[in-house]
Amino acid sequence: MDMLIAPERLELAEAVRDFLSGTHGPEVLRRLDAGPNRDPAIWQGLVEMGLTGLLVPQDHGGLGMGLLDAALIARECGRVALAEPLVESAFVAVPWLVANGRTEDLAAIAAGGRKVAPAHQLNGWVADGEGAALDSIDPLRNLTALPATASNDPLLLDLGALMAAAQLVGLAEAMLDQAVEYSKIRTQFGQPVGGFQAIKHKLADVAVALEFARPVLWRAAQALDDAIESASLHVSHAKVAATDAAYLSAESAIQVHGAMGYTYEVDLHFWMKRGWALSGAWGSHAYHLRHIDAAIIGGTHPIGPENTFA
Amino acid sequence: MQLAYTPQQQAFRAEVRTWLAGHVPADPLLTLECEEGYHQHVAWERQLASGNWGMVTWPEAYGGRGLDLIEWLIFEEEYWGAGAPLRVNQNGIFLLGPTIMEYGTPEQKERFLTPMAAGEKIWAQAWSEPGAGSDMAAIKTTAFRDGDHYVINGQKTWSSRASFADWGFGLFRTEEGSQRHKGLSFILFDLDTPGVTRRPIRQLHGHPGFAELFFDDVRVPVENRLAGEGEGWKVAMATAGFERGLMLRSPGRFQATARRLIELFRQHEREASPSAREAVARAWMDTQAYAYNTYAVAAKIMAGGSIGAEASLNKIFWSELDRAMHRTAMHLLGAAAELRQFADGRMNDWLEGYMFSLSGPIYAGSNEIQRNITAERLLDMPRVGAG
Ligand SMILES: Cc1cc2nc3c(=O)[nH]c(=O)nc-3n(C[C@H](O)[C@H](O)[C@H](O)COP(=O)(O)OP(=O)(O)OC[C@H]3O[C@@H](n4cnc5c(N)ncnc54)[C@H](O)[C@@H]3O)c2cc1C
Repeated sequence: MDMLIAPERLELAEAVRDFLSGTHGPEVLRRLDAGPNRDPAIWQGLVEMGLTGLLVPQDHGGLGMGLLDAALIARECGRVALAEPLVESAFVAVPWLVANGRTEDLAAIAAGGRKVAPAHQLNGWVADGEGAALDSIDPLRNLTALPATASNDPLLLDLGALMAAAQLVGLAEAMLDQAVEYSKIRTQFGQPVGGFQAIKHKLADVAVALEFARPVLWRAAQALDDAIESASLHVSHAKVAATDAAYLSAESAIQVHGAMGYTYEVDLHFWMKRGWALSGAWGSHAYHLRHIDAAIIGGTHPIGPENTFA
Repeated sequence: MQLAYTPQQQAFRAEVRTWLAGHVPADPLLTLECEEGYHQHVAWERQLASGNWGMVTWPEAYGGRGLDLIEWLIFEEEYWGAGAPLRVNQNGIFLLGPTIMEYGTPEQKERFLTPMAAGEKIWAQAWSEPGAGSDMAAIKTTAFRDGDHYVINGQKTWSSRASFADWGFGLFRTEEGSQRHKGLSFILFDLDTPGVTRRPIRQLHGHPGFAELFFDDVRVPVENRLAGEGEGWKVAMATAGFERGLMLRSPGRFQATARRLIELFRQHEREASPSAREAVARAWMDTQAYAYNTYAVAAKIMAGGSIGAEASLNKIFWSELDRAMHRTAMHLLGAAAELRQFADGRMNDWLEGYMFSLSGPIYAGSNEIQRNITAERLLDMPRVGAG
């Protein structure tokens, strides 16, 4: 029994954080919003970091890592509100293809030449797919209509929900950081607004929500990696906890920013909108809550002193 | 990350379960907030200690089992899962004990730890004073040196279990004219020392759960001071960290409450509201999240790390979770919620639990104070004025 994440896994995520914060800052979001909203140069950078091949088995030219590693990195993608479809292609589609023995495209995906847009019936759309465009509130999200061939495989849903949850945690963390920074520089009544307890307590509550969403996320990723029977319950749990943290963080961050936060000029809105988008994606809040209900109150999941990690 | 228990851990769980099954009282004890219930709980502590289960992480030399924190978490899951009583001994074993291990002299360890683990001496905390609640550095009670004794004068209040307990520990001003955090010392005292008067205070539920303590020229030997004279604040902060952090609030207790709540929901499913269903599912989610977090923190401590201001996040989370679960139960019970005893004779322990849960966000440093700590020390937000 060991609930800690191994230091080398954290180091990799740390390296990705440094890389992403250097190449995908807020100015990139604004540039992408003004023009074509994908950038081949940024994609190439992700490829060179090895991220497109993170979950591709080594004999297909990838790094062969696990879902916990991918979740750690998806969280970093959330922190910068990454626009490129890395998570859906490399962290959702790839493990699904591998699980289904469909290995023909894996080498090309790892090498960055091919992107896969996973389509699941529970989503009403495909992100970064081909077809008639749908308009998302998130200006950097490219949605198209759902094809008739969309899957209803529960594993694909779990993978999508897990990676959405991971990004939501990162988004929530980034919004909290922005709110804290702003609270230090904005002065009213002769002092930084962050000195007021009403503001402090709001952000402290976001810190609490995140502190107790993160371990749920890691536990869900590990459960899916280990393919334990209840993995999908834990993914639902992670999705709900991350969604709640992201909504709370967004609402608190905008409040702390005041009217400034209500403008398109302040970057915060990119994170908020991505958060709303991912909160409903890969199974709505209600869907995942119902799933938890059925398992816990419905009694299909064992609960008792020895079942903390069941 | 390795989320399966080792065979050794599973065997330990089985051993704990067997022992508890043979020893946990069949009928629930009276509340430890009344005199008779207090003595029942003390008897239970002694029984636990007879099997060396008083504090499993303590060294065997002091009556423990020298186990690690993961084994302690397993013990706690089983303990609460078996419906075993609240720990009347908690101030000693969870708060003062670890503080003595860190700051005590060999003689103090020898003198205090074994009787503590054995349940022979029950401890009360004496920090708060009428004018010093959240602002603990405002304490006024003095302990001035007279040869090899301190002479204590003043008043403490809201001291849990002090109505019946044997010993107390707390902060006293040992330097004449000192202000705030300076000039304070951490002193242990026998509650039966001449000059100590206890006045029990009735709590919300009507029981004399805590007491005011009046000190009138109370003489306490200097060797009862923990750490150096004037170093009391530092030591007290260590104790407060234990209180907010891991020890006192093991996840097993909240997980057991969540399971009872799920059971209660099933009994009331027909008249329950859809939002109650969600609240019940959330009880499971949040207690699980709390458990995962605690297991991770335990692993971090075992790997040589420590917890600092994160203990404040913990305190806010468990106390508000506990209140929310009990509030949900009150709603599920509907009209029956007001009964102290149900028609079938069972105690309404949800009501007792709800009243008790209301104190969680107040004691161990109120949640407003914890949010201040979180904002200033973890988020690095500006400190302004006294806030
Ligand atoms: C059941 C129970 C058991 C207890 N057991 C013990 C014990 O064993 N030993 C002991 O010494 N004490 C004990 N206490 C006392 C406890 O430590 C204090 O109640 C607590 O520190 C709060 O102090 P106070 O009650 O004086 O509230 P106050 O300090 O008067 O606060 C009143 C309100 O103002 C808020 N407030 C105060 N300062 C600030 C600030 N700076 N920013 C924002 N809000 C603020 C508080 O959060 C609270 O909501 C116990 C209390 C309870 C309820």
